[in-house]
Amino acid sequence: MSERLDSVAVAAGAAHEQRAPRARFSLRRVVAVAARIVRQFIRDRRSLGLLFLAPLLVLTLLNLVLNNTASNLTLGIVAPPGQAGEAVVSQMRQRLDQQDSTGLSLKTVPRNQVDATLKAGDADGVLIFPGDYAQALASGAPPQLTLRLEGSNPSAAKQLSATVALLAASLTSPASSTGAQPALTTTYLYAGPEYTQTDALAPLLIGLFAFFFVFILASVAFLRERSQGTIERLLVSPLSKAELVLGYVGGFLVFALAQSLVILLYVVYVLRVHYAGNLGLLFLVTVALTIGGVNMGIFASAFARTELQVIQFIPILLVPQILLGGMFWAVDTLPPVLHQLAYVMPLTYANFALKDVMLKGFGLSQIGPDLLALVAFAIAMVAAAAFSLRQDAA
Amino acid sequence: MGTLDPDESIRPETRAVAARDDTVVMVHELVRDFGKNRALDHVTMSIRAGETFGLIGPNGSGKTTLIRLLQGIGAPTSGEVRVLGRAMPDRAIASQIGYMTQSDALYGELSARENLRFFGRLYGLHGARLGQHIAEALALVELTDRTDDPVRTFSGGMRQRLSLAIALLHQPRLLFLDEPTVGIDPELRNAFWAYFAELNRRGVTIIVSTHHLDEAARCHRIALLRFGVLLAADTPAALRAASGEQDLERAFLYFARRQATSMRAAE
Repeated sequence: MSERLDSVAVAAGAAHEQRAPRARFSLRRVVAVAARIVRQFIRDRRSLGLLFLAPLLVLTLLNLVLNNTASNLTLGIVAPPGQAGEAVVSQMRQRLDQQDSTGLSLKTVPRNQVDATLKAGDADGVLIFPGDYAQALASGAPPQLTLRLEGSNPSAAKQLSATVALLAASLTSPASSTGAQPALTTTYLYAGPEYTQTDALAPLLIGLFAFFFVFILASVAFLRERSQGTIERLLVSPLSKAELVLGYVGGFLVFALAQSLVILLYVVYVLRVHYAGNLGLLFLVTVALTIGGVNMGIFASAFARTELQVIQFIPILLVPQILLGGMFWAVDTLPPVLHQLAYVMPLTYANFALKDVMLKGFGLSQIGPDLLALVAFAIAMVAAAAFSLRQDAA
Repeated sequence: MGTLDPDESIRPETRAVAARDDTVVMVHELVRDFGKNRALDHVTMSIRAGETFGLIGPNGSGKTTLIRLLQGIGAPTSGEVRVLGRAMPDRAIASQIGYMTQSDALYGELSARENLRFFGRLYGLHGARLGQHIAEALALVELTDRTDDPVRTFSGGMRQRLSLAIALLHQPRLLFLDEPTVGIDPELRNAFWAYFAELNRRGVTIIVSTHHLDEAARCHRIALLRFGVLLAADTPAALRAASGEQDLERAFLYFARRQATSMRAAE
């Protein structure tokens, strides 16, 4: 028997000396891992729903909550002097009563107290009639009205300017048959026109959702890899650690980019938020964030034994980023310690970059520093993931 | 087959034996520590081409650690491991090794075919050749009728069979099986062993760990491990003869007692 074995072995031994291939990077293997991840998620309807429907649900709710019809608005009026002024104010009250609905109250404001009233919060906007309103009407020239809005609450500002536009249009008294329409100019104490809460939040949510779901799903996917033992198979296969990490990044990128696109289409076409941006740049930010998120997930999964323990990372790793990343309070208004903390968190940079791209239409050079910070974060997380994979192979 | 006393194999002159042409695995003075725990304690042995080599020992005796080191997962604390002529860890031999892990190590969301396809691609198989290998592997483990069902719907025995199919898919020269028959019924276990013998005939070397001593009897040679120490390595018949016992279980106990005695003597 041993002779037979020997002869087989000699043949095999001779063959393997030429055969043994040096481990070389293979894109094919990377694609195999990425394709497997895509396939697994397509099978996992619940995760898929979470990935695409949850953001839309949250956005819709936020849109409703943040941009609902603001009630108890106060419109200040700087009335024209004399008889004409009283007439205008009472005319406006009448019109408002006819329109019913709005819950808007009127209040006269002295001409030199406009901004002070707005700053004090005593009015949400002030409609300023010119001193020569009566004369203008009489002469048939269109009177110049100014609406000064407080502006920090986009929904109040929007509602007020819409109401006032209607009022102003209806102010042409039947007496002035010349039909001179008052011209309305709108100015803002803070912020600007066409700016809603959803406008401000949508870019941040694109970043948050990409990061959040990629992190959670990658952690769980990798945790399963460990708990079901497939990591052992991968480690002994020709697949290198770099190929494995790249495959994960590739697989998750498919979903992260698709998710960003779905969110973007939804906020732009359904919620109609302001979008001045460049899709390529937005994707670039998502890519950097996804690479960071996937690798942070791989790293974090080493510290979890169950899927519940992955969920337990949320309050530690994600909630601080949501609170401090500029979503609720501007980063620069945070107390010093938190301010510094905000600047070590990736979501802060993603928020800056996405806001600049979507709202301000900034280009690559302008968001460069933020993108660089995200790339640095991604590199740090790749190193952390590589470290945890080395532990697996020990 | 030789009837070397295992103690002799540690002696330097026996390294000539280890360097024989048909040696596919050579382990010399291998030590592996995990912190303060010594999982493997100066293990020396060699495995020849085309044989089924059993690693026998209770849980925690170091079987899995040894199997992992032989495949280049982790590095020895000291000592030497050569597999297919290369010092481990070395990823260059990865494509010539098949590994059936202790757990099923399958992707439950994917079908049997998708699992096979994924692992096949990692080993550089693709296209028609991959399809052919998959069909053969599935036929071999008799899963052809469940090819496209998700693996999570499989029974334990079916999962074990698929796990074996994956390990064999790329036609490795060296097959590591870590407790391949845990939790499967006697009929399937018998089928597995019949198939291992067939693989041996095709020149495949099999390294199998088990704590079933009746399975150990079906190996060409076995290594008895206890607390990370190699008690003895030889053919089952030689081990029975050396211990003067009729069955392997009692032989194992004999070598275990001898180890305990020599440890006390050393203190």
